Amino acid sequence: MSTPLSLSGLDLPRRNGELVFDAPWQSTVFGLAAAVIDNAFGGDREPFRQQLVKAIAAEPGRPYWESWTAALEALVETLPERPVP
Amino acid sequence: MSESGHHPAPLSPVERRVAALEALLTERGLVPEGFIEEITRRYESEIGPLNGAKVVARAWVDPGYKERLLTDGTAAIAELGFGGPEGDHMVVVENTPAVHNVIVCTLCSCYPWPVLGLPPSWYKDPPYRARMVREPRTLLAEMGCPLPGDVEIRVWDSSAEVRYLVLPQRPAGTAGMTEAELAGLVTRDSMIGVARL
Repeated sequence: MSTPLSLSGLDLPRRNGELVFDAPWQSTVFGLAAAVIDNAFGGDREPFRQQLVKAIAAEPGRPYWESWTAALEALVETLPERPVP
Repeated sequence: MSESGHHPAPLSPVERRVAALEALLTERGLVPEGFIEEITRRYESEIGPLNGAKVVARAWVDPGYKERLLTDGTAAIAELGFGGPEGDHMVVVENTPAVHNVIVCTLCSCYPWPVLGLPPSWYKDPPYRARMVREPRTLLAEMGCPLPGDVEIRVWDSSAEVRYLVLPQRPAGTAGMTEAELAGLVTRDSMIGVARL
């Protein structure tokens, strides 16, 4: 089944990292979610994850980063109007 | 406002929404200067599947490490300096001649980020998420990973609590290779379980 040492065409992680975003807005919304998780939820990712699960379930065929955007919008709705100073 | 000879492409609806989020969150002081650039840079250059490949290669050459890895994935992966968000409860599942493991996240594309980076687009797509649970053997064959009928397929559905990583079988004919050379053989897809080495 396997053909060791004949691995051309596979995605070899020789170089760490790869182009993971197709457009700048995708990396922006990824970073925004990380910022909110860090700075408004003390690093707790679960509230965002729950919104993401809901967003994907609501429109299963929607592109992933668009669901991510919808999830972040929904999460932001749950924030208090003003941050605690 | 002012007319000029240079017109940037109009923003798409989702680009406008992201721009609005960025403005709002920045105004609220939740996005430190340079934060987005830094996290993007880290995911595009530091946090990727080479980390997982190093874990796999270490397990192939060091039986003690392999045992620790299969017993407490989080701690063994942290030994190599990888961990943090999205990887705090790692479970490593071992492929054998009789068992093939594959990971999926049916709900929201959870993924072991510290060792694999961000997921490939197909991992996040509905067909993969649905079909890998329903008909893994057929889907694996379609993805270029046909398995003999007597190989048991175990599908691991990631969750908020647990992130899985597949430990692929060490390829035959690699006895003389160094750990670094072995790491160079390990593919991202083999650690997801949609390819064999």
